[in-house]
Amino acid sequence: MDTKAKVRVRNLTKKFGDLLVLDDISFDIKKGEFVCIVGPTGCGKTTFLNLLVKLLEPTSGNIFIDGEEADPKKHNLSFVFQEQSAFPWLTVEQNIRFGQETKKRPKHETDNVTEYILDMLGLKEYRDRYPHELSASMEQRIVIGRSFAMKPDLLLMDEPYGQMDLKLRYYLEDEVIKLQTATKSTVIFITHNIEEAVYLADRCLILSQKPTTVKEEVKIDLPHPRDVASKKFIELREYITEQIKWW
Amino acid sequence: MAEKGKKMIYYILPVLSIGILVVLWGVLCVQKPDIMPTPAAVIKKIADITVNPISNATLPVHILVSLGRVLSAFAAACVFGIVLGILMGWYPTFHDIAWPVFEIIRPIPPIAWIPLIILWCGIGETSKVIIVFIGAVVPIVLNTYSGIRQVDPMLFKAAKSVGAGDRATMFEVVLPASLPSIVAGMKTSLSTGWMCVLAAEMVVARQGVGFLIVRGMDSGDSALILSGMVVIGVVSALITALLNRAEVKLCPWRTEQR
Repeated sequence: MDTKAKVRVRNLTKKFGDLLVLDDISFDIKKGEFVCIVGPTGCGKTTFLNLLVKLLEPTSGNIFIDGEEADPKKHNLSFVFQEQSAFPWLTVEQNIRFGQETKKRPKHETDNVTEYILDMLGLKEYRDRYPHELSASMEQRIVIGRSFAMKPDLLLMDEPYGQMDLKLRYYLEDEVIKLQTATKSTVIFITHNIEEAVYLADRCLILSQKPTTVKEEVKIDLPHPRDVASKKFIELREYITEQIKWW
Repeated sequence: MAEKGKKMIYYILPVLSIGILVVLWGVLCVQKPDIMPTPAAVIKKIADITVNPISNATLPVHILVSLGRVLSAFAAACVFGIVLGILMGWYPTFHDIAWPVFEIIRPIPPIAWIPLIILWCGIGETSKVIIVFIGAVVPIVLNTYSGIRQVDPMLFKAAKSVGAGDRATMFEVVLPASLPSIVAGMKTSLSTGWMCVLAAEMVVARQGVGFLIVRGMDSGDSALILSGMVVIGVVSALITALLNRAEVKLCPWRTEQR
């Protein structure tokens, strides 16, 4: 295993009573890597993610960031959910500043990062608007901006585009790649959409049926922006789809 | 143009409905002139007591006295009610201890407390403020409590996901998220308080709008009674309008589009 890994997951196991949901999962993620996690429906992807951000405690095993046990107080673990989670009482700009301010980042740095993110996401002209005044996709971009603004050690995204149409998804996915490249963030992205996974990831982790383990890792060595119609892309997509099948 | 016409309607309709009320009142006066003073007589009475004092105070002074009682009780109710609501909403153990007591005391009308409060505190200002407080505190406690309980669990996760600790979560997420509910409770509280002060003043007072109504009853002056009632209605409507303004300022993200 890579000793320079940014994130190391070791023997992660979760039981709910007698039900074994995650069974001894181990893998590494390098700094700045974009990892997609795919798997059959109900395989415990969300449980897995909740463990990673410490919203749940594992039954055994652990997660290390830079060699230390992951701790939300010490590390920047950021999370984008499928549901809208912008704070409705804060404007777009205040939402993006929120995490930075609770982490007591110096003001000038917060100012700079906030400007950068607003600019990058094309939200500058909406900075004083409230989330409810904007569309659902805009609101999700606020949350994504808020997360990247944290300069997270690890950013976890749980089907953030679950409810959006195809065209918008490609647009937002390109945006995420741009942000990730610019901020050199390490990202774990969970999706059930394999095309999305192949479009985004440097590496795909394929999970098995319950009790969940990592069935296979697939490296995706294609340049961005990716061509969804290219032969290699389709091959990878079909291969991963085949691996997920449990019937 | 159509937009402008729509807006005009909003100004015309209230005037129209109040106009109809006054006309109906006028018709009633023609039927029973001996027990029902005309709108004109009431307006004349209001003008009269605005300059000529009753019980050493003109109408504006009576209104201010009543308002002073309401506002001091309201301020105390806000502090006490919000703190109690937060404690009950946030700490399950505290909720389990305090809620049953609150549930038993809550349904007792503030007016039922009047005799006991007078026995304890006499007939001075304190007893009136306490009676108003009892009425005003309940909606604030209830709304703060339910506001906190109804905070979207997603927002807790969101706060945690950007590294907010317990303190930051409380002050920067839970409180703002429950603010609309708390403000709604404050609105109810202020109008309940206004009702309670009149009840308290009708039982025992030498000044205040409630006192004017009782004085009207004692002296068989129905115009004075109705003047008091009209004043109550108008002041209450003004308070509500003011609170709606305050709500927009306090919770700008909740501004309802019209």
